Formats: sequence, C-alpha cells, structure tokens
Amino acid sequence: MNMIVKVDGLVKRYDKLVALDHLNLEVREGDIYGLLGPNGSGKTTAINCILSLLKYDKGSIEIFGKPMKPDSYDIKKDIGIIMQNVAVFDELTVYENIEYFCSLYIKDKAEIKRLTQEAIDFVSLNDYIKFYPKKLSGGLLRRLNIACGIAHKPKLIILDEPTVAVDPQSRNKILEGIMKLNEEGATIIYTSHYMEEVEKICSDIAIIDKGRVIAKGTKDELKAMISTGEKISIEIYQAGDETIEHIRSMPNVISIEYDNEILEIKSGRGKNNLVSVLHYLEENNVNIGRVITEQPTLNDVFLEITGKELRD
Amino acid sequence: MSFRLYRSRLKAIIRNKENVFWSYMFPLLLASLFYFAFGNLWNNETFETIDIAYVGIDNEADVLLEAMKEAKISEGTLLFNVVVVNKDAAAQSLENGEIEAYIIAGEEPVLFVKENGINETITKSFLDSYSQMLTLVETIMMNNPTAIEEGLLDDIQNFDTFVYEEKTGAEPEYLLIYFYALFAFTCIFAGTWGMDEVINIQADMSITGARVSISPIHKMKLLFSNMFAAFTAHIGSVFLLLFFLKYVLDISFGDSFLGISIICVMGSLAGLAQGVFLGIILKQKPAVKAGLQVTITMLESFLAGFMIADMKYIIADKAPILSYINPVNLVSDALYSLYYYETNERFLLNITILGSFTVILSFLSYLRLRRRTYASI
Repeated sequence: MNMIVKVDGLVKRYDKLVALDHLNLEVREGDIYGLLGPNGSGKTTAINCILSLLKYDKGSIEIFGKPMKPDSYDIKKDIGIIMQNVAVFDELTVYENIEYFCSLYIKDKAEIKRLTQEAIDFVSLNDYIKFYPKKLSGGLLRRLNIACGIAHKPKLIILDEPTVAVDPQSRNKILEGIMKLNEEGATIIYTSHYMEEVEKICSDIAIIDKGRVIAKGTKDELKAMISTGEKISIEIYQAGDETIEHIRSMPNVISIEYDNEILEIKSGRGKNNLVSVLHYLEENNVNIGRVITEQPTLNDVFLEITGKELRD
Repeated sequence: MSFRLYRSRLKAIIRNKENVFWSYMFPLLLASLFYFAFGNLWNNETFETIDIAYVGIDNEADVLLEAMKEAKISEGTLLFNVVVVNKDAAAQSLENGEIEAYIIAGEEPVLFVKENGINETITKSFLDSYSQMLTLVETIMMNNPTAIEEGLLDDIQNFDTFVYEEKTGAEPEYLLIYFYALFAFTCIFAGTWGMDEVINIQADMSITGARVSISPIHKMKLLFSNMFAAFTAHIGSVFLLLFFLKYVLDISFGDSFLGISIICVMGSLAGLAQGVFLGIILKQKPAVKAGLQVTITMLESFLAGFMIADMKYIIADKAPILSYINPVNLVSDALYSLYYYETNERFLLNITILGSFTVILSFLSYLRLRRRTYASI
C-alpha cells in the first residue's frame, strides 16, 4: 500500500528540552494509525511538525510522497485536522462554522453546500444547525469540531485527542465515526493517551514516550513484545505466605502480588497457567471467590518497556 | 478575495456584541454626554439680561451708564437691565436678591456682587473692557486731540456687541476639539477589530488560527478578506457617529463631504493597521493584548485632547513630534483643518502622514505575518 505519511529522524527542541528525539513514523494508505503516549510525550508536537505549523530542528516529513512544507497547498487540501481543543467561531452557527471551514478548501458554492450537509449528517447535528457553539454540550461541540475538520472529504485525517473530556456516549459515536471515515477511504492518524480507544480502533500503533517511538506495530505485535502472556486475578480471603511463595515458584509465573484480598499473578506465555494455580489452591483447601483472567493491555506493554504507567 | 469568506467573517464580526457595543454604541453615548455636559456653553439663549443697579455721580454725563444701556447679548436682547439708584438702595437691592450686582461710578468704577457666577463674571468682564477702552481713548486724545472730529473713536465706543459678536458662526474651538477627538478615537478604535482578525489567523495566537493555517488558503489572502470585512463593519460605526454628530447634535464638520469621507476611510485604515501591528508585536494573551490596545488608543486620544482640550496644544507646543505620529491627533486635526482653514494644506499634510503611518505599520506587520511556521504554539 502507498505510504501516506513518512516521518524520518524528526528532532524538535524547545531550548534544552528535547520534545521529539529522532522520531520515525510510517503511515500507510488505509491505516488507522494510533500515536499512543502519556501527556507530554510529544504527540501533539509531532502532529504540529507534520502539519508544518511548528519549525523542527532536524529530520524530514513527506506526505502523499511529497515533502511537506508550509506552502504545500496541494498537500494541505487533502488533509483534515481535528484538534484537541475545539476550533470554531463562537459567533457563527453550527451550519455556518462547517460551511466556513469547508470554504477554505472548496471554491464551488454548490459543492460547499453539499459537503456541509454531508458533514452535518455524518456527525448527526441536524437538529442543531442553527445553534451557536456556546449553546452546545461538550459532546456536541466535539462533533462540530470533527465536522469542521472533515467536511471537505480529506484523504488524510489527523485527530489529536478528540475525545478528551467527552462523555462515554459521545466518545463511542466519535470512535464509530472515525472507523466509518476509514471505511470510506480516509487514512487516519489518531493520537490519544487512552489505550482502550487506540486498542479498539487502530490498525497500527506507535507508542511514544519522551519524544521517541519506543515500540510500534499492530496491537498483537506490541503485546507479543512483552513477556507477560496473561494476568490472573483470584479473590482469596486469606492467603498465607506459604501459599504465595509456592505459587511464585511455579513455572511460567513472572510476578505475584496479594493486596486487598486479591491475588494478582502475571504469567508468561504458555498453556494451563490458570489451571495449575487453581489446582494447587484446591489441593490446599484455600477458599476462593471470583477468578478473572486477562490478556495484557497496551498499558502493560508501556509499563514493561518504560517501567511506568501510561497515565502517569 | 473570496466573497464567501468575506461574508462569513463579516457575519461573525457584527455578531460580536462586545465589539459592536464599543464601536457603535459607546461613541454615541459619549457624544451625547459631551453634548449635554458642554453643549450649553456656546448656546446664547442661556444668557439672560442681568439686573443691575448703577450709582452715578450727580450732574455728570455718564459714558459708562450709556455703554451699559446699549450693550446687548444678541440682536434685540439687552445685556443689562439697569436701574439708577443711590448707594444704599443699591446695597439693599443686592441684599434682597433683586439685582445681581451694582456699580459705583467714578474715575475707577467699583463693582459689588453678592456671589460668584456667570452673570457676575460677565459684568466684571464688561467693566474691565470699559476701563481698558477708557484708557485707550484718553491715550488717543492725548496724542491726537482731533481724533473725535476725525471719527476715529466711533468704533471704539461701540458696546453693542459685547457678548454676541464674539460668535461668528463657529462653535467655540475647545468644544470642537472634544468632538473631533471623539470622532478620531472612534476611527482609531478600529484597532480592536484589526487585532481580532490577526489573532484569528495566527496559529500561535488562537486555535482557530491553527486550523486556518493548516488549510490550503494563502494566509495573506485570508487576512485581506478578513480585514476587508472588519473595515466594512467599522466604517459603518464611523459614519453612524458622523451622522449622529452632524444631524442630531448639530456639530459642524464643514461642507466637504469628500474630505470628511477621506478622513473616515484613512482613519479607519490607520486604526486597523495599528490593531494588526499591536496584535503581532505584543506577546501577551489575547485578552491582555485587547486591554493594551484600548489603553494605547485612549492614551493617543488623551494626547489629542479627548479628555482635556488644552492637551492638544500642550503636545503641539512641547512635543510636536508626538502630534505627528499620533493617529488620533492626525484624524482630529484633519477634521479641524477641514473646518477652519480655507486651504487644504494642513488637511493634506495630516492625511499624508496618516497614510504613511498605515503603510509603515502594514509593511512591518506583513514582515512578521508572512512567516508560516512557528517556533512554538
């Protein structure tokens, strides 16, 4: 598939602070490419550099196979951006805002009208077209923000944390919308610090920390990079030291913690991890409650690589 | 320039209630305030005939008394209603409030008043003029005894026009300075709109600026379109104020509609250019920038005589360079010269400097605006 965005060795410094440290990204046509990282990891800086809004110190950026520069208007016309903060005019109605931003890209009057209506339909704001932004709830405002960014039917859509401070219902609608845009042919770059969202919609993921890509691949590839294969949580009312130590010594167990009547075991890849533990507990007459087993998450990937939680 | 973008921007601008209030309503309110506060000062009808007593010298022809009887406020309205009485009766009448002053004749006439007020001031002023005139006549007579026969003193003795002849059709200069400075302030207040427009297209100043910077439209094209929308909105407020001052408050602006229109346009462009320039060079947050913009405009207006009319002359005398670089002063002075002078030299000088001011600030702004990437956002 064609390369849509290629970022090579990007370096951005703010005085002594290195915001991007030789960042490399490759986004292919049709991808929903997730940039996952904690706040301050450099996601937004990377996006602003990609869009030629920010000067950078080193590296190169290509979009649609051409070098991206501030005056690359032929590239810009095919890009849509949905910013972290809502970027609309308070004095214009929902309809007028979408129409205005669409008219920055499209000249034909009838085409603008058609695309504006399609964007309104897409984000389901039909009942609010005459509303001013200040009258909209947070979720509706985010949808307006999205409509303003995608009305001109861009080939590449960049969404920078579009679900921050959004209620779960609106969040789901936004995520469904992104997947629909992708199905309609748009390539998506999606930044977030919510691993669940990235895990849910992204085909490829780059995990960023301190301005560097620390891991990238599909979610399965990323999870395969770490030693944890399974997380087992067992509710035990009284777990003695002997029991804990015995489980710790079992093959494939990586770590064990007992806290608040929950025994949490991280085990490596392999079969029958849970069965072995349950068998031991039964043999030793240890009463157990709920048993939960989970696959590792992207947070575990991040934790294992960086030694800290994604939300730190 | 895209008409669609212009129209959308104009809609957004005129829906900004705060800016519309300060541009459209505030000058009208201030003009009304000026009018009611100062308006009566040049209105003849507020002067009324002054009741006064005169204590003369027995059996002497009294030139002062005759002068008092002849003095008029306006055609058909006497300045004084004089009663000739003795000193005790005059003092009693003053005490009772029947008269406002009395004069005791003599080589040096003496004025008695009960309190200070406009009528007492006018009477004192009249008496001073009379004394000066008397000294002048004596001097002339001493140097040229035939002056009376030659008719040289006819005009000097004429007191007919003591008050109203001062008014030759023009409002007092100081009051025009207030109104012209208000008008100039309104023109330069376009800076508020100019600043908003530049903030709205700069990625490092606003989030909407970031969004439009990513679009394929050229920034200068968009700025031009937006500035034209701002100019349209602002020039409306200027002409509204002009209409209000000229036709509702009856303030004179002279007869040159073309000249006034040029001032309106050039003043508004200068204001917009100043706003854009300040928007670019000030590094503070938008609200702080807006506050500084208003403060600077108010300071320029103050120096142009907006609050104290004398300030215009003080600056012209002590720091003339400030008069030439202050856009508010240039606009008010252009109005002033259009009204008072028959030649256009001073008007053209003001307009030329104002145009240069606009071009220089626009060029400096362009140098900064043409940058399309930022060190930080």
